[in-house]
This record gives sequence, C-alpha cells and structure tokens, in this order.
Amino acid sequence: MGRIDYERAAAVTDGLQSRLVDAVRDDAAVSRRGVLGGLGLAGAALVGASGTGTASGGHDDDEHGNFGASGEYSGSTFDPHEFLRQFNTGYDGQESVPQRVVETDGQRIREYEFSVSRTTVEVAPGIEFPVWAYNGQVPGPTIRVTEGDIIRIELTNGNRHGHTIHPHVKNVNPRMDGIPQNGPGLIETGETFTYEWQAEPMGCHLYHCHALPLKEHIHRGMYGTVIVDPDPERVREQPSDYCGFHPSQITPELRAELVARAKSRNHEYEENDAVQELVMVMNGFDTNFDGDNEVYAANTRAFAYGVGETDGDGNWAPGETKRPVQIDRERPVRVYLVNTIEFDPINSFHTHSQFFDYYDHGTTLLPTHETVDTVMQCQAQRGILELDYSDHDPGLYMFHAHQSEFAELGWMSFFEVV
Amino acid sequence: MAEQSPDTDASDRRAPDARTDGGTATERAPFGIPRWLGAALPLLLLALVLVGLFALSPFAGLSTGGAPPDVTVSHATLPDDGTVILHVVNNGPEPVRVEQVLVNDAYWSFSVTDGGANPRTLQPMESSRVVVPYHWTPGWDIETALVLADGATVHHGIVAPQPSPGVTGGTLWTLALVGVFVGVIPVLLGMLWFPFMRGLSDRWIHAALTFASGVLAFLAFDAGFEALELAEAVPGAFEGNLLVVLGVVGAFLLVQAVSAWSGGERQSPLALAYLVALGIGLHNLAEGLAIGSAFALGHVSLGAFLVVGFIVHNVTEGPAVVAPVARGERPALRHFLAMGLLAGGPVVLGGWVGGFAFSPTLGALFLAVGVGAILQVTVEIAGMIRRQGRLGTATNLLAALSGFALMYATDLLVVL
Repeated sequence: MGRIDYERAAAVTDGLQSRLVDAVRDDAAVSRRGVLGGLGLAGAALVGASGTGTASGGHDDDEHGNFGASGEYSGSTFDPHEFLRQFNTGYDGQESVPQRVVETDGQRIREYEFSVSRTTVEVAPGIEFPVWAYNGQVPGPTIRVTEGDIIRIELTNGNRHGHTIHPHVKNVNPRMDGIPQNGPGLIETGETFTYEWQAEPMGCHLYHCHALPLKEHIHRGMYGTVIVDPDPERVREQPSDYCGFHPSQITPELRAELVARAKSRNHEYEENDAVQELVMVMNGFDTNFDGDNEVYAANTRAFAYGVGETDGDGNWAPGETKRPVQIDRERPVRVYLVNTIEFDPINSFHTHSQFFDYYDHGTTLLPTHETVDTVMQCQAQRGILELDYSDHDPGLYMFHAHQSEFAELGWMSFFEVV
Repeated sequence: MAEQSPDTDASDRRAPDARTDGGTATERAPFGIPRWLGAALPLLLLALVLVGLFALSPFAGLSTGGAPPDVTVSHATLPDDGTVILHVVNNGPEPVRVEQVLVNDAYWSFSVTDGGANPRTLQPMESSRVVVPYHWTPGWDIETALVLADGATVHHGIVAPQPSPGVTGGTLWTLALVGVFVGVIPVLLGMLWFPFMRGLSDRWIHAALTFASGVLAFLAFDAGFEALELAEAVPGAFEGNLLVVLGVVGAFLLVQAVSAWSGGERQSPLALAYLVALGIGLHNLAEGLAIGSAFALGHVSLGAFLVVGFIVHNVTEGPAVVAPVARGERPALRHFLAMGLLAGGPVVLGGWVGGFAFSPTLGALFLAVGVGAILQVTVEIAGMIRRQGRLGTATNLLAALSGFALMYATDLLVVL
C-alpha cells in the first residue's frame, strides 16, 4: 500500500483507453444514422422544430425530418404570435381586456377588468387542455404601466372555484396580497373584488392566482405578466436606486446613461419605439395529470415559434400556425421573460449564435449578467433580455429551453432575422 | 322412444309420459301460442324494451360526460432501425383520435395506417398501426406514448429493441425447420421408448402413464401462467383473463366431446394415445407461438434458447403419447408417425402464426386452449388407469411427481 506502481497504472490506463476507443467505434458504426436522424438538439436544429411533410426534397437517403409535433393548430381563440407583442397599458390594449386610465390629484391610475372563466386551450396540435383562465387566455393579459402608477384590477369570478390575484410587485397593504387568508380572501363564484397596487419596483413581474391547491391553480393557467417601466424623471433624481452603485459613485455620464436606458424601457417614450419588445411566458402542461408535463412552451403552444418544414439545407417554410418570430436585424430586441412552469423546479432560455445581456427581475437598468447565452430561472423568476442581431446574416436563429427534454417537448423556437 | 306410437292421437294420451323426458316434449304452449312464436317472443319483447330504452333514455340524468378514452398498445414491431410500429386498439365506446406521438419524451412525426378516410381516428374496437419514423439504437430501450385529443397518454415501452426480420419466404422456411426440430423430432425420439415400455409390468405401465400426466399437468400450469401473463397485454376490450377462461374451458369440453363421440366411456388405448397427442399438440402450438413471436419481436437470441429448451422438454412428451398403447397389440407404425405429427407438428403452425401475426390476444387464447386440452387428457389418463387397476398407489404418485419435477428441470432450460 502507498506505493504507486507506475508501469501497472500505465497498463491499466492503456487498457481502459483502447476499450473506450473500441466502444465508441462500435457505437458509431451502429448508430450513425440514429445520431443523424434523431438524437439531441443538434439533430433537431438541423431538421427544424416541426415534422409534417419534412425532408420531402430527398435530402438524404433516409427521412430524418421526423422531429416535432405533427400538424397545425386549429383553435383560433389564442394566437401566441399576437400575444408576443400585446401590452395592455390602459391607453391601449386587447379588446378582450376592458381598460382605462384615470388621473386624480396627479396620481395616475390604470384600471383593468379581469374575469375568470373555464375554457380549453390547444397546447399542441389537436390537443385541448382544460384551463382556468384570466380573460379567457393563457397566459393572462400582459399589463404594462409606469412605476408609481396605481394598478387597479377589478376581478370577477365566473368559474366554479374561488380565485385570487396575487401580485409580484411591492405591496404595502396586506389586504391586497391576493391570498385566501387575508383581505377579501378567495373571490368566490359570481363575486367581484377590486385589487389595487402601487406599481413598484420597475421590472418584469408576475401575477398569479394564489388559491389552494396552488399547484393546480397555477398549472391550469392562472398567471400573467406585469411590466413596470422605469420613470426617467425618477431615474434622473435617484440614479443609485436603479443600479448597483453608491450615490457617491454616480457620475454625470452614468446618470445620463441610466436616464437613456430608462427612456428606452418606458413605453411612453419615443426611444422605446426603436426596440422590438416581446413577452415570453415559459409554461408547461401536464395533459394526463400525472405530475409531469407533456407539453412545454413559450406562450402556451408547443413549437408555436418553430418552422413549418425544412430540408435541413437552409430551405424552409413557415407553417400556418407554427412559424418563427420575425425580427428586424436593424433594431435591438428586448424579451420580457417569465417562468411560470409547474412541476419542474427550473426552466431556462438559450439563444443560438448570440449572447445577450440579462436583467434579473428587470429591477436594474444595468445588466445583472452580461454576455451570456443561457439563463436559468426558477419558478416565478423573471427577467429582461436584450439582444442585438445587427451583425448577423439574415436567417433562422434558434432559441429554446436548454433542458433538452423541455425543448423536445415543445419549448423550441426560432427567430427569423430579416 | 321405443314406446312411441305412430298414430298421432297417441301423443295426446302419452303427454304425461313425454313430460318425464325433461319436459322437452310438450306439445302445447299456454294460450295456444304456436311453438315458433313461443321461441321468438322473448326476443321480440327484448327488442321492444331496448327500443323503449333508447327512445325514453331514462339514464340521461346519469350521464357524466362520457367514458375516458381506453386505448391499448398491444405490442410493437420494428421492421428496421429507422421505424417503430405500434399496434393500437381502441377499447372504449367512443372514437379516439391519435393527435401526437412521443418517443423518448419528444414529439415525433408519425402516420397511422389501416382505416379509411381518417385513419388517425380509431372507431370502438378498431385496431390500427401507428408508424413512427424514428432512428433507434438496437439494445437501447424506447419509451413511446400516444397523446390523445384530451391530453391523455398511452405509454408503451420497448425493452432492448432489435430489428424484427419481417415476412419473407426464408423466415417461413426457417420457422418450419425450427418447428420440425423442436416439435416433431423430439416427440418421435421420445416414442423410441415404446419397445422398452412394452416389456414393463402393469404397475410400471401405470407409473409411466401417471408420469405422463405429471408431465401434462406441469405443462398446463406452465402454459396457464403464461396465458394469464399475456392476458395482461391483451387490449381491454377483449377481456384477456376471461378469454383465457374461455380457452381453457372450451378446449376441455371440446376434447371431452371428441373423446365421448369416438369411444364414450370405454376409450380404446389407441384413441387415448391420439387424445394425448392432440393435447400435447395444442400445447405445442403455443410453444411454436412463443418461438415465432420471439423471432417476430426481434428477440432472436431468446428464440434460440427457447429452441434448445423445448427440444429437451419435448423428448419427454414422446413416452407420454405412447404410454396408453404400451399394453396389448402394437399399433401399426403409421399410427406412431401420425401421433408424432399430431403432437409435434403444431409447433410449425404456431411458429408461423407467432412469426407473422403475433398478438397477445391470439397468444393468450392459444395457450389457454392448450391448457384446456391437456387438463382433459390428464383426466382421461386417470380414468384409464382406474379402470385397469388402482390410481392412488405410491408408485403412481411418485411417478406423477417425477413427471412434474423433470418438467420443472427441463423448463429451466427454456427460462435461462
């Protein structure tokens, strides 16, 4: 014991190495086509995120365009492509969300009417999932306000279960926390209650039902996004609140920079128009109720931002209901990303061929992660991504959850950079 | 019957006598209804009740939104390493549509063969094949799931997949050859004990017969358990377990009927030998099925083991067949050949069926039929010994036990 026999060690190492080489060689011989055709994300990237009618061009001697959900979506109640760019500001928003803005004593109040109902959503082509939904859609409507505003939501419950709205914003009034144990408690069938919160802090936030069983109410679709835009005037006054620097460290240049960033983030400023803003709620559906999701998606529909068909040679076509997210390469892209996945502790977002800046929870104007291509979010975590494709060739760029299981079960998408 | 008088009047007078014949010979139905109407009336009334039931739908209030879909993947076949074929049956009362297919937790494209304009929709009791172009690796398990319109999933795992050869003339020939080696030859070899058995005393002949029934009884248990195991994979609509019961009881009664028709109580030894051969043959049909399906499902190495095991196993079936004729006159040689073919030949047939049309439903039924036939033959052998002497002697019991034990030992060869 204690002494090392180097010769013996070398012999063992040699043996192991040649065995590994043999094993890999044999394996490669057996499964080369398997690897080409079906394994992993590389294969999926090659053949696209959708299957029907693929590889009809005879790209290879065997058909390998087999990956993805078959067919197109038929339900017309929810369009994830519309949802991507739909913001409800009170001034402007979806017809299905009654909304208005009132001002009293200089305080701006953004009012919304929400209703809870039961409906079904098509989560994969042909597969209807029964949901409980805010305003008939999953995810619920995206609300967008400026920090300091009052958000007022009048909730009417038309479902047979009690529901609430629990906000992930700072909330100083416990009655407005949207839990069964406080304030109005559960809003029962037929009842109406008006929640009121001050919009703070700025960021990309989440609202969801907090009725029990919590897991089921969230899994059934009762969640949505609240975006609180920074107020450039406040940023100018208190810049240290919006970055990780001490007031003594704020230079005039930094202050100007932060104000500029705030204007870019605020929907009421022209600077914001230059940015292509997208909302993506990462969610999943356990269609057979066994505690494990059969469908994963950004914005509810599996592969909704995938391509219709491809031959893997760069020739591809969009589907009618499954098509890439088109973006203009000249303008920066901002993604408001929220993770509401149930039954899995984490989710993630990964971009191909591109790195981005990430703002965890969106509560800072300087990135919390710079130059990353993958970001992880636990349940209810959210953030803002800023991407720039200006120096990229036009074409398809994939993005997906880098839990490969989630990707192959639907959370796989493309930007079409034009 | 002999008392029956030709004059028609007599039937009236003799009515009380006729009634003693189980009451079946009654001439008049009540209220003077014609006999044919008496037979048809309950059916007519039943039809009326059913029509009324549909018209009034008294159970509408109990409706709870339909039954959940019930779909079974009975088995999978793998024609090559780029294709997985799932054999699907809709057991439920409602049509079912296969919307998506998952392979190893990933959405995959697929096509559904069989069926008419809309093959993806399976009508009640309809079966079909879901063809998935998936490049799998031999030996690596495949987990598949069908996703139905309401999100329900039907899972089917394929353990250690290997390509199945599929239907060719070559495999047909191979399976036939294997069948001859496994079935016919060992049984004929076993029959070569016949001259030796002829020299034995009654006591030892009875021992040989009870040994044979021990062998048979063991085979009945063996096939019975296997039938129940297969029954679990049988699509729910076909009621696997009850199918096994039907097979066992049906075959038992059928062989009993054949036996009663051919010889009644006093079964000739040769007829009994044929019955034993028939029972063993039906059992061997299931053996052939096992071999054929092992090839069909791609388990060629398993098939080879089965072959070796069955050969040893089947040699012991030879003496069981010839034991009833060991006493008395030696039957003609053609009888031996015929019995050998009857007992061993079905392996070939079973191999073909298993190789080309395997389904758990068919497999379970065949196994059950074998069990029923064997049970009846065992009863028959016991009857023969009882007529000639005593059944419950120590020698006979030990012989039966050793038949059991020998089968257990040779069965290990099949299992290992």
